[in-house]
Amino acid sequence: MKGLADQNHYEILETHLGATLEEIDRAYQLALVTYADDSLARYSVFGEREVSVLRERIESAYDVLKNADSRRTYDSKLPEEDHALAPADAPPQGSEAPAMAPGFEDLDEESGEFDGPRLRRTRLRRGIEIDNIASITKINPLYLRFIEDERFLDLPAAVYVRGFVCEFARCLGLDPQRVAVSFMRRFEESRSEALSRRAGRKRRSRG
Amino acid sequence: MAKPGLRDSDVARARVIPIGGGKGGVGKTFVVANVAVSLARRGLRVVAVDADLEGANLHTCLGVEHPSSSLADYVAEREEDLQKLMADTSVPRLSLIAATHANISSSQPSQARRVQLVRALCDLPADVVLIDLGSGTHPAVMDYFMVGENGLVVITPEPTSVENAYAFMRAAFYRRLRLAMVSLDVRKVVAMAMDQRNERGIRTPLDLLREVQAVDPTEGTRFVEAMQSFRPRIVMNDVQSRDDIRLGFSIRSVCRKYFGIEVEYVGYVNHEDAARRSVRSRTPLVEIEPDCDASVYLRRIADKLVPKESQ
Repeated sequence: MKGLADQNHYEILETHLGATLEEIDRAYQLALVTYADDSLARYSVFGEREVSVLRERIESAYDVLKNADSRRTYDSKLPEEDHALAPADAPPQGSEAPAMAPGFEDLDEESGEFDGPRLRRTRLRRGIEIDNIASITKINPLYLRFIEDERFLDLPAAVYVRGFVCEFARCLGLDPQRVAVSFMRRFEESRSEALSRRAGRKRRSRG
Repeated sequence: MAKPGLRDSDVARARVIPIGGGKGGVGKTFVVANVAVSLARRGLRVVAVDADLEGANLHTCLGVEHPSSSLADYVAEREEDLQKLMADTSVPRLSLIAATHANISSSQPSQARRVQLVRALCDLPADVVLIDLGSGTHPAVMDYFMVGENGLVVITPEPTSVENAYAFMRAAFYRRLRLAMVSLDVRKVVAMAMDQRNERGIRTPLDLLREVQAVDPTEGTRFVEAMQSFRPRIVMNDVQSRDDIRLGFSIRSVCRKYFGIEVEYVGYVNHEDAARRSVRSRTPLVEIEPDCDASVYLRRIADKLVPKESQ
């Protein structure tokens, strides 16, 4: 058992060395809630000073781990024994309650549906500009904005949009498949609605 | 489960699961009654034991109005055979050991009697024994919490309940440590740390570990082992929002960071108006409203505590 001062960034966020960016995000969100000023969970255990120290550690851990480059540098400097210990220190899967009751698995806002605003939120949290993503993916930055704003009618055909969304998600460290399925469902729904509205108008103007 | 043709000594011992929570009124008895019924309905032989000698309620929740015998008879040494105190309930395979008509002047058993009781609880002829603990952190309560498997702590999303739950886990934690330590000097250090205003300035379990390691490194290793094997389970009761549900995960995090222990969050039960009705009608919720959300969650908690594969 290590004291807070000796814990590495992964231990502070209670995640593991192999965590995906999404897992790190989720761990960070939970830590924010848990050690917030008005948190019920810390009541009677951690005092205000301890909590503010903890929060600093959480912020600096997340700052390093949210970015792929700084995370790689950090990982390479981790002492050998931290690498060796990592899998055992990861919370045992069995104790994660998600599979047990509805609500447990999508407890965290960030594991539900992926829409445009959520992609933006993720991007901002990672501190990435639209232009960065555009230059990596060679996608027109205008389309990236349309995706975030969910201006479905201004986007090109579905096959292209699907490709864009996958690339976009990959840049943010999200699972491209999951994001694409979720986003494209919204895309299709909104387009078919718009089409039927248009058809309705046409019928009315003819009649 | 017991199979015909096997001698008594061959029969697997009952799984004993103590259920506490520190604070009164958080729904311990409600959880015990409903989990007990759920397990019995699954075909297991269950004994629900009311160990709350000062506030016996379990019989009421299970609809047994006047239990003829009580744990108090065992405590007062009027009855030597714990089995004889088992009373039938309306649910097949579910028996109750009630805690009614206790001696108010000395309701808690003596230390020697507690040791016997703990052994007798493990020997009850059942698949599962659930113990409904009283509130507070009286040594008797903590003794029962240490029996059998990792105990369950029931918490509601209120500061009072959270505070008492931590106090409860803290008491259990130090008790466990003191039991694990062999050297007298180290036991003294642990006992001192239990007083939160101790002169050595031992505030957290980690401070204590350093202190123990300084006194005796072998004991330090034992200390870490004892910590790792202590894995209390928690249930959030009466939740009304996602934040309330998430609180369970946050409490798990605080336990990791403060005590250095892994807590298992086994589930939650939503706020349910029918729960009041169930208490009033003295019938467990899973019996009168088997399809409501809370009943579904209660059965899931039962399945998590006693997985079906292990049956």
